[in-house]
Amino acid sequence: MTQTLYTRFMARIERGEKIEAADWMPDDYRQLLLRLIHMHAVSEIMGAYPEKEWVPRAPTLRRKLSLMAKVQDEIGHGQLLLRVAEDLAEPLGRTRDDLMRDVMTGRVKFHNVFHLEAPTWADAGIIGWLVDGAAIITQTALLDCSYGPYARVLRRICAEESFHMQHGESIILTLAEGTPAQREMLQEALERWWEALLFFFGPPEVTASARKMMEYRIRSRTNEELRQKFLSRYVPRIRAVGLRIPDSRLRFDEETGRWTYTEPDWERLGRMVRENDGPKSRERIGLRRRAHEEQAWVRDALVRAGHAAMV
Amino acid sequence: MRSGGVANGAGAAASRPGHEVYEVFVQSSALEPHTHVGSVLAPSAEWALQVARENFARRGTAVNLWVVRRRDIAATPADDGDFFVREFDRTYREVSGYSDNARRWKRFKARAMTMDEVMDDVRGG
Repeated sequence: MTQTLYTRFMARIERGEKIEAADWMPDDYRQLLLRLIHMHAVSEIMGAYPEKEWVPRAPTLRRKLSLMAKVQDEIGHGQLLLRVAEDLAEPLGRTRDDLMRDVMTGRVKFHNVFHLEAPTWADAGIIGWLVDGAAIITQTALLDCSYGPYARVLRRICAEESFHMQHGESIILTLAEGTPAQREMLQEALERWWEALLFFFGPPEVTASARKMMEYRIRSRTNEELRQKFLSRYVPRIRAVGLRIPDSRLRFDEETGRWTYTEPDWERLGRMVRENDGPKSRERIGLRRRAHEEQAWVRDALVRAGHAAMV
Repeated sequence: MRSGGVANGAGAAASRPGHEVYEVFVQSSALEPHTHVGSVLAPSAEWALQVARENFARRGTAVNLWVVRRRDIAATPADDGDFFVREFDRTYREVSGYSDNARRWKRFKARAMTMDEVMDDVRGG
């Protein structure tokens, strides 16, 4: 029975059909998707924290407004993705509360870049330009995902990311056009973020689960392919605005058509994500816990009001 | 055909106590139909509308929102293509089934009409 269902499922995948939440799917398809989308959802939410830190300190009212809009988008993306994740988690008996609590207990990881400090306005700019730029590359690579609900949400997310892209570029261009002190601040921020940006795409080895995800057409590109795309798109622009990339080994190899670069410290940055021991991990998770707990009464009140309305 | 599990969603069980999944439909202008855009988890229809506005109408225009409890939607299974199968040629129902008109009008030294051209003419005054 399961064998027939599996064969039929794989035939659908190979025909390029989209799988829907109520369809039969193999357990490992569900698990791989859930792990990916849960981490994506939580990363959107935790990704709002470094930027929200800059809302009260944004240099102009317009910057403050656009930064708030962005923070709202990130939380909104988290909500859309959580809906997709909780439909996948439902047969496993896990609820939205479980998915959110996993952030606080460290059961779900979030992207390395959101564990780091953003000490200057230029860091906010680098986040908007390059961290979002890297995230846009990984998200667009998932647009053809075989799971329909995720692919549809990604289309909406990518449409909104096009605003984020312009927003980040605008901050960078202003600083690059500015005083020597502003350009220096930008340079220092780039130096703080470069290694983390390379790490963001994940290790170059194609792991067993990555291979399985390609077989299931959840994703179609390797980490390294995406890192290469990022370098090709962004290295020329980073240089064009007069910034120096802090990697003396970085160069484009004409023969192989690939960028060579100094590998990030996989061990150290990996530990930061696994153990939540980045410079800002604990503080931001603490803020998340506080928001979750202090707003519990609002959620309870809404449920009671909902019941009251029904009688 | 079944209810309580729409093509783009799973079962109807609430993922948070007291909450339900509501499917969201946005109407972008009075002449457009409501379009399904996704779903929200909410403790009531009223609150689902608030969350839907925040999640799906932050940008662009919207003139109306619908939220429908997922378990109230009946849908065809997503993996059953047979329901929509075309057993035979149906071009007799379509414009493409009459593409020879243009050539035949030429014999009478006249031109085939199109719907677009009629609409432009009538509405353009």
